[in-house]
Amino acid sequence: MENKLNTKDLISIGIFTALYFVVVMIVAFVGYVPILMVIMPALCALFGAIPFMLFLTRTKKFGMVTIMGVLLALLTFLMGRPWPCLPIGIAAGLLADLYLKGTGYNSVKKSTFGCGIFSLWLLGMALPLFFGYHDAYLQSLRSGYGDAYVETLTRLTPDWMFWVLAVTIFVGGLLGGLVGTKILKKHFVKAGMA
Amino acid sequence: MQFFQYGNEGYKSVLDPRTKLLLLIVINVVIIGTGFTGTDFLLRIVCAAIPLILFLIIRRTRTALLYGLVCLAMFFGEAVLIPHTRGVLNLLIVITLGPFSRILVGYAFAYYMMCSTTVSEFVTAMKRMHVPDQISIPLSVMFRFFPTLAEESRAIRDAMRLRGIRLRGKNGGVMKQIEYEVVPLMMSTLRIGDELSAASLTKGLNAGKPRTHICHVKMELWDWALVLLSLGFLFYMLVLR
Repeated sequence: MENKLNTKDLISIGIFTALYFVVVMIVAFVGYVPILMVIMPALCALFGAIPFMLFLTRTKKFGMVTIMGVLLALLTFLMGRPWPCLPIGIAAGLLADLYLKGTGYNSVKKSTFGCGIFSLWLLGMALPLFFGYHDAYLQSLRSGYGDAYVETLTRLTPDWMFWVLAVTIFVGGLLGGLVGTKILKKHFVKAGMA
Repeated sequence: MQFFQYGNEGYKSVLDPRTKLLLLIVINVVIIGTGFTGTDFLLRIVCAAIPLILFLIIRRTRTALLYGLVCLAMFFGEAVLIPHTRGVLNLLIVITLGPFSRILVGYAFAYYMMCSTTVSEFVTAMKRMHVPDQISIPLSVMFRFFPTLAEESRAIRDAMRLRGIRLRGKNGGVMKQIEYEVVPLMMSTLRIGDELSAASLTKGLNAGKPRTHICHVKMELWDWALVLLSLGFLFYMLVLR
């Protein structure tokens, strides 16, 4: 019975998902400058990792990280991204959860790595720019945003860029995990909160 | 300001939470996916008008006015200014308008959803859709928590100003910002989380018995009309275009 999620766990998931999502959204605002569009998801991962590391200190059971992934995927879907963002988010959460389960949820170093895996859900956010969605999305932008913007964007986002993004997001998540660990050490461990 | 409150403020929630969720998706799909010519533009206007009307129905006249004005300015900018400018000026307008116009309508609708739905209604609707507790509880906590976060961060900024701490200019920098704003926010997140779980214990969320409720959640005529409308939009977006 100890491994079943109780209401307290579910509530922690809810509030930390909210905090994580807000941080990511604020960072994502920067991304409308075309050149930053490429590093924006990595930045999101970097800053989002800080509350995520705190969330991991509250995670001791299998399923919590997965549910967070599901919620974030749902939010991306609610924001009008194409449906593959759902499996991407859920898979990222599940993989991170499985990895963390293997570490027993108590190694800080390995949590950083799990944080990198989890950050990959952000790929769902960037999805409209790639593959089959690319042309339709850019066409819809062209009439409103003008040619200059669209051409810059097209040059920046060939399909292989998707995989580059995956790598940068992962690295961003790792770095964010490191920063998060530092912040936790400085502020939370001392206060007995983590 | 009350969000996701526990009782209605004198008006009946007009729409079923399920309709609201569907509409939220469809509005975002349309706003993100359409351009500014022909049928596309018409669809955009209809989608932008939906939150406006809904705000009026729940008697948030000021919000409705503000939203309407911003929307008008946005449409003017996108439909008139951008096609008629070139080069740097064009890019500048795009960068200033871009982030807002793509998300404004969706945000307005999400805002409407949060201030017109009670937690009880939301959870009941979730139950009707057979969403398991493991998803519906975190989801409702999350929606409830967004406004709390805004409130907390306002309080933190006020406290800093009161003590004369400024993060602009030389003392600024991203790391400082994180340390001074995000860390206290995370602290209060932890505290609020503990309080909420204590509250849920009192309410018997852990009891393992089926949940009871007195709120009224039913698909009415309006709901079906809006569902039809949004299905039509989806059909247009996915098939006809």
